[in-house]
This record gives sequence, structure tokens and C-alpha cells, in this order.
Amino acid sequence: MREMSIPPSTIRLRCATAAITALLGCTSLGHAGPLVVTAWKHDGKALAGAVVTVEAESPALPSSPPEHATMDQVNLTFVPDVLVVPVHSTVQFPNSDVIGHQVYSFSSARRFQLPLYRGKPYPPVIFDEAGIVTLGCNIHDNMLAYIVVTRAPWFGRTDASGKWTVPNLPAGRFRLRLWHPLLNEPLEVERPIDAGAGEQRVEIRLSRSLRPAPLTGRPHSWDY
Amino acid sequence: MGLLTRTHATWLCVCLISTQAQAGDWELALDVRAVTSDGRESFLDNGQGKLRFDEDHQGIQLGRLRAAWTQPLGEVFSAHVEASTWDDDDKNPIDLTEAYIEYRPYPRAGVRSRLRLGAFYPPMSLESRAVGWETPYTITPSAISSWIGEEIRTVGLEGQIDWLGTRLGHSYDLQLTAAVFGWNDPAGTMLANHGFALHDRQTTLFGRVGAPQNDPDFPKKELFHEIDDRPGYYVGAQARYLDRAVLNLLHYDNRADPTVEMPSIRDFAWLTKFDAAALRIETGNGWTAILQALDGETYIAPNGFWIDWQFASQSALLAKRVGVHMVAVRFDAFEVVKRGDPTASGSEDGDAWALAYSFDPGKHWRFALEWLRVESDVPARVEYLGEPAFARESKLEFSARYLLSGSF
Repeated sequence: MREMSIPPSTIRLRCATAAITALLGCTSLGHAGPLVVTAWKHDGKALAGAVVTVEAESPALPSSPPEHATMDQVNLTFVPDVLVVPVHSTVQFPNSDVIGHQVYSFSSARRFQLPLYRGKPYPPVIFDEAGIVTLGCNIHDNMLAYIVVTRAPWFGRTDASGKWTVPNLPAGRFRLRLWHPLLNEPLEVERPIDAGAGEQRVEIRLSRSLRPAPLTGRPHSWDY
Repeated sequence: MGLLTRTHATWLCVCLISTQAQAGDWELALDVRAVTSDGRESFLDNGQGKLRFDEDHQGIQLGRLRAAWTQPLGEVFSAHVEASTWDDDDKNPIDLTEAYIEYRPYPRAGVRSRLRLGAFYPPMSLESRAVGWETPYTITPSAISSWIGEEIRTVGLEGQIDWLGTRLGHSYDLQLTAAVFGWNDPAGTMLANHGFALHDRQTTLFGRVGAPQNDPDFPKKELFHEIDDRPGYYVGAQARYLDRAVLNLLHYDNRADPTVEMPSIRDFAWLTKFDAAALRIETGNGWTAILQALDGETYIAPNGFWIDWQFASQSALLAKRVGVHMVAVRFDAFEVVKRGDPTASGSEDGDAWALAYSFDPGKHWRFALEWLRVESDVPARVEYLGEPAFARESKLEFSARYLLSGSF
């Protein structure tokens, strides 16, 4: 993470939908400091697995360097369920199941198809555009996963307690976004910091309940 | 198949010719039962009993020996074949229950089309969701699914369009289905002859099932014949809420000409129409509820004299799954009314309770224990068998199934 002088911070919050409530708190310490994001569900429980990205608006900062990531297929399930990668990253799609899979995406951020296969016959897929890529298997409709492609220098997922932390966020103006596959509404939080902020705390509490999580544990011989 | 258009045939040929060797998937399943039953002589043996295993078929029985094969044919075509043996003196020791080729292109902009050509089940039962068109909740499917497995098979072309809303950020998927088919003109004859039954014995494509009375020349019924050269159709719609709820609607009409008889099988073209609705709801803590309803009619018109049978059945199932254990209870009601007279021979009225426990520890073994009781009032028992019309039949059945699968 980049080191910059930290001016006093101001906080501005914008929700893409009025139904979403986000609470911000900050303490000005006069230098760069950690950013701690905590996400809560509608019922007050921690929101785990939410994707958080922090993009720099001013000064402009480059995105994280591309990665080589893996989206596996195990027991008729994509593993992981959500993958977050910087733009220009490559993702390998091995199939660890005995039976064949046929992976596709028709998302505008990246359209591709991997004809029916087992093992690892195809080269990695490159993701050059930012956005959310929804993955499916054309044979097994219950297989669903996402690749979040981001230009953000900082990104990650909230842990079991709903927290995600940037250890040392420099001064500047940033845009924080939060996304979750079960979110009922889009959420975007814009958060400018003028200078000299210390620890920044962002607390986001959803105003609507999540969609039900996919069912697990059903025998694989069932249809869905 | 005369229903195949030239375009489809051309695509199919191109696909088959250009197919590179691709690994196919196979399954082999042996299902052995231990049965105690006080059932009347089974409909499979020309009786009016409602159960597959009657009091003369107790002890260790073969539930089903099943082999299935799915073969990719190029990128978007595949072939699927299901073969089974039931060890009950059918015409062919091993026979097919389904055999079809599927065209399944990749979805574009959230929409996917699918075609199936061959012999297969219409998309109707929400309980028959396990491999081999079996229900995972009980050993014996509902009266509705039992009848579908016994008499109904699409031998034709089916098209589906899916709107994959869940891939577009929505909570719903939608599906429309339409099919044209033939070779199912006798469908309805079993309902008229013995009414509904509760069993897992699917009729094979070239096999036979029981007749209402012993006839040395034609002891069994054959169901998959084209008699009047008139194709039938069905249309359906399905809505899904995530993976939690499914609503299925289907209208079926085989458009048979009931005045036409096929002497070689000594049966008519039965004009059979029905509407079916099914709802399945699953919760995150392992509960499943399935409601199904069927309402229809079937006709024959020997010498222009029309005879109709109205039929209806409803089913409600509640299941709770805890890990590899599952308990299910189901209630079925069924009724057939011939020419508006519920007391006529050919009419019936009945209901059934099923209680089942299943243990599904992995991909190979599945164990199940089921108690099933059927109460039915069947006037034909008096006419054909000299027995009381009312019968209460019950069975206790244990199933041990071993499934092997792989690719080659």
C-alpha cells in the first residue's frame, strides 16, 4: 500500500439507493492510517464475504498488478463462490470433478465459453474489463459463481465478523464500493478524504435483507 | 421420426459427423428390496391391486437394475440413454425408459434454448428429480408420478426457452416448454382399466404392463404406439425463485382420434388431455414441501360411441433432511369417474399415505425404508374378480441401492 501524507479528512457518503444506510466514522490523526470497513446485515449480524473495493480518485493510482487466479469446480460447485481479481488478471478454470462441465459467461465485462471438459485442457481466461462476471455451467444449472474484476488498488472480502481492513491507506480521495452476491440492491459508497486522516472506519448496514443463500448439502444426483 | 424438420436433421448430421471422440458418462445402479406386503394381486399381474409388490411378491425382490449413458456429441449436442430391468417377466428382459438427443447451446444475453429429440418424460414431476427419474424422498412416487411413469412418454421433439434471470442479478428464472409427439396413443388405457396405482415400475419403451383381466392372446398392454397418425402436443411453463421454489404448469393433449383401433395390440387411440400443476418449496434448514395436482380426461369411441373417464389426483409431500438423513411423509388422493358415474366399473376413488426414511451417505449407497398404505374403492374388483370393491393394502419396503458412475 502506498504511503502519503494524510490531511484532515472529510467524509461524504453516497448511496446508490436510498434504501441503504451507511454509517461512517473517522478519527483524524494527521497521517496515513488504516481503513477498517465493517459490514452488517439488515438484522445487525455481520455480513461476511462481501466484496469491498477502494479506488483512488485523486490522486489517480494504478490498479493492483494482474494476478493468476484459479476458479475450480469441485463436487458440482465453483470454488470459490466469488473471486476478486485486478483487471488484466488471468483465471484458470480446472474441473476437478469426474464428470464434464461447460463453463460460460454472458456478462458484458467478459463473455466466454469453455466447451465441455474435464481436468485443465484450456489456457487461462484473461479479464481485461472491470465489472462483475457471472459464471455458470451449461450442463449443471445450479452451478453459479462470480468473478469481480476491479481497477481498485485495494480490494478484498469481509471476514466472518464482517470486517475488511486496509493496513495503511494514504491520503487522497477514494471511492469505496461494497458488493455481495446475495445483495438485494446495488450499493456504492463514495468516500473522499482530503488529507491527513488517521484511522478511517466505515460501517455499512444494509437496509434490506439479503436473498436466501444457495442451498447446500443436497445429493448431487438430484436436479436443482 | 417424421416430426424432425430438415433443418434439424441437417444440424444433427453435421454434429454427428464432426464429433471428435469425447468421454461419455455412465451410471450403473442396483436396487434390491426387502418387502412385506398384504397387497391384492398387482396390476402388473392383471389384478386390481394398487401396489407393485403384492402379497405373492414379498421377501427379497429386485427393485431395479439400471444403466445410463450420456455421450457428448460435439460441443452442444449430447445423447442420453436409460435402460432398466425390473425382473417381472416383461417382454424384453432389459429395455429402455428414455433415449434422446439434446441440443443445448450456450445462453446468450440470459436466454437459452434447448431441444430434445427422442423418448423422454415431459417436464412435469417435481419429485422425480433423482437420476433415472426416481424420487429421492420415498421409494414409491406419488400416484401422479406413478401414472406418468406407467403411461406417459414423449416420443417426439421438445423445445424449451430459459430466461436465466439469476445470471442477470435477478431472483427468478423462467422457462417455457412446447413439444409435439406421437407413439403414445394408448395413454389412458391403464387409468380406465385399473385406475391409479402407486409404484416405481416405469414402463419401458418396448415393454408391457398388466391388463385388467387375463386374456391369453393379449395378456399385457403396450403403450407406446402410433395409432391414428395424429401428433399430440404439450405446452408448459416453469418459474423458479432462486433454488428455493419451483412452480410448474403443463397442459397435455395427445390429440388421439378415439374412433381408431389398432387390432395388433387390441387397443384404441385414447384421446387423453390433462392439466398438471406442481409446486416445490425448499428451505435453508432442510425442509421440502411438494404439492402436485393433475386433472384430465380420456376417451375412446368404439363404433362412434364415446366413453369418457375423468381423472384427478392430488399429492402433498413434506420432507425434512438433516445431513444424510431424510424423513418424508406424503398423502395422495386419486379418483377416476367413468361416464359421470362413480359407481361404474372403471371408476375408482382412493387415497394413500406414505412414510419414508432414507439414508444417503455418499455417492454410492442409498438406503430407504418406506411404509405405504393405499385405500381404494374400485367397482371393477366386483366385476372382474368377484372381490369387494374396497381394499386396504399396505407394504413395508426396504431398499438398498448401489450406484456406480464413471466416464469412458
